[in-house]
Amino acid sequence: MRAFFMTINMGFRHYFRDRSTVFWGIAFPLILMGLIGLAFGRSDSLTFSLGFVDRGGGPLAEGLRRGLNEVPVFRLMEETDEPMALEALRKGRRTLVVVVPANAGEPVRVYFDQARLQDSRTALVILERFIAEANLRLSGAPEVVRIQARGLQGQRQLRFFDFLLPGILAMTVMQTGLMGVTWVVAEYRQRLILKRILATPIHPFVFLGGLVGRYTVTNFVQMAIIVAVAIFAFNATIVGNPATVIGLLMFGTLVFVGIGFAISTVSKTPESANLLGSAIHFPMMFLSGTLWPREFMPDFMQPVIGLLPLTPLVDAMRAVAARGDALGPYLGGLGYLGAWGVVAFALAAWRFRWE
Amino acid sequence: MDHVIVDVQDLVKRYGAITAVDHVSFQVNRGEIFGILGPNGAGKTTTLEMVEGLRVPDEGTAVVDGIDVRRDPRGVRSLIGVQLQEAGFFDRLTVEETLQLFGSFQRKMLPPADVIDRMQLQDKRRAWVMNLSGGQRQRLSIAVALINDPRIIFLDEPTTGLDPQARRNLWDVIERFREEGRTVVLTTHYMEEAQRLCDRVAIMDHGRMVALNTPRALIRTHAPSTTVALTVLDGDLVYASLPGVRHAEVSNGEVVLATSDPMQTVQALMESSRAGQIGFHQLRVEEATLEDVFLQLTGRRLRE
Repeated sequence: MRAFFMTINMGFRHYFRDRSTVFWGIAFPLILMGLIGLAFGRSDSLTFSLGFVDRGGGPLAEGLRRGLNEVPVFRLMEETDEPMALEALRKGRRTLVVVVPANAGEPVRVYFDQARLQDSRTALVILERFIAEANLRLSGAPEVVRIQARGLQGQRQLRFFDFLLPGILAMTVMQTGLMGVTWVVAEYRQRLILKRILATPIHPFVFLGGLVGRYTVTNFVQMAIIVAVAIFAFNATIVGNPATVIGLLMFGTLVFVGIGFAISTVSKTPESANLLGSAIHFPMMFLSGTLWPREFMPDFMQPVIGLLPLTPLVDAMRAVAARGDALGPYLGGLGYLGAWGVVAFALAAWRFRWE
Repeated sequence: MDHVIVDVQDLVKRYGAITAVDHVSFQVNRGEIFGILGPNGAGKTTTLEMVEGLRVPDEGTAVVDGIDVRRDPRGVRSLIGVQLQEAGFFDRLTVEETLQLFGSFQRKMLPPADVIDRMQLQDKRRAWVMNLSGGQRQRLSIAVALINDPRIIFLDEPTTGLDPQARRNLWDVIERFREEGRTVVLTTHYMEEAQRLCDRVAIMDHGRMVALNTPRALIRTHAPSTTVALTVLDGDLVYASLPGVRHAEVSNGEVVLATSDPMQTVQALMESSRAGQIGFHQLRVEEATLEDVFLQLTGRRLRE
């Protein structure tokens, strides 16, 4: 046991002293997340789209329409059907829905999404100021037009970083296995470090177990930093059960460390191990839906994408972390991922060479 | 206590058509420094690694302190200290951390600080392995071999690649092991090293053991001649008929004589000089070495 924990301890120190592994393990995913966020993720836009439902067609509606069109931050979308407009609000396509009643005496109703309080509140404040000014201009007295704000329970708006974070974490898990383990194990073999360890009385599995432990620990430290930065700097949120998320990451780490071991056993040099690891890593990184939804990829590629071992991990991670779904529907995919792990460890155990 | 601590019988290791180690047998006595001398590729490392339990022999047995290596390789490894040729360590661990790590792999562990002192690595205790010089790295390698306080230490080419100063330092360290009652088995292709350090030397060539004895006895048996060399200025002699001379070579005034009785030969040369028969200078007498023994046994030089 002492040897096992010492292997983890020393491996951990070794890891954090190597700037390149720290870069690839922590800085790279964060940079990637920031860049992709910049490119695709401007969800907090400065224009608010307003659904405008005119039920009366009177002069009041006409005045409001003209006035609201002049407010630069509002984009007025003419709607004919109130329920459809509200549905659009629920789905996040509208910030507010303004309904002008048929009877002039009724208040103008304004709907907003309670889940997006920040955007809604800003838009509401601007709208209220506008209405107040309009009232003054109309009669010199307040309250000719009254508005009544109503909250709606919309679907939770999936912010881009909420979507991105689980993918980035899954990518980190894969990267540790395919880039880290492959290189390190092949290098330890080439430099006869493994042979040196074999020349001690320790059982080899204790050391290899220590290596797996070390990667699990370093992975979790890496991911904790990434999650912290994502939450505090990018305002990402994890909705689902943290224990389930951690369990998924642990499971993924074991599988991909196993795949890394397997790759290192079929490669002669660290360079070829790394090349093989990269050759598997990069397609998965772009195809498996880590950085953008995999539905973006053309239809004919979908069956291939479905077979990649990273895909079920990304799907399950995103479902739990970003949408708070239950794990049930994803168990099949995770079973498939587990099968990869079993095959990988079996191959590694069969082909493993110390020198 | 049995005085044989390592008993090797008929070890054979084949790689395909090549027999790397061909029926090698030897015994190492408790407390001695035992050397395996031979050129690169002679099978020294393979032999050592079979005794250490790192390679499985195709035939033969190796028993270390009463334990059969094939039956209990890890039992053997807990008794011995091993320094492997060219084995690497973790680049970004310090000397001290490396010893703690390898100590944790052992059943018994000396305090790392003691081992560091003994190997004169105090200044480098907190230095990363990647920043050590070749000599320091070699001392670390031996420190790792020492961490479990072994009775037997196996050193595979411990001084290869070191400068003469570092090599001499290491010889002192190895002699200390013997003073402490440890047994040392080392391989080398430096005949000075074998001659200076080893109580007994086994000479290997092409996977076979061609001789085994004390360095002195090896020289006496296999290279009994002493070389007498001189530069002749004028005059001539029938050198081959001088007393003791077995073989004479003359070229451009350089005379090289192989003699079984250097005293007699030199005396005869001095007398000839006094009688005015020859004039010479730079008379040199050179003892035979293990190099000559190797040449005699194999027809080749150790380092070619």
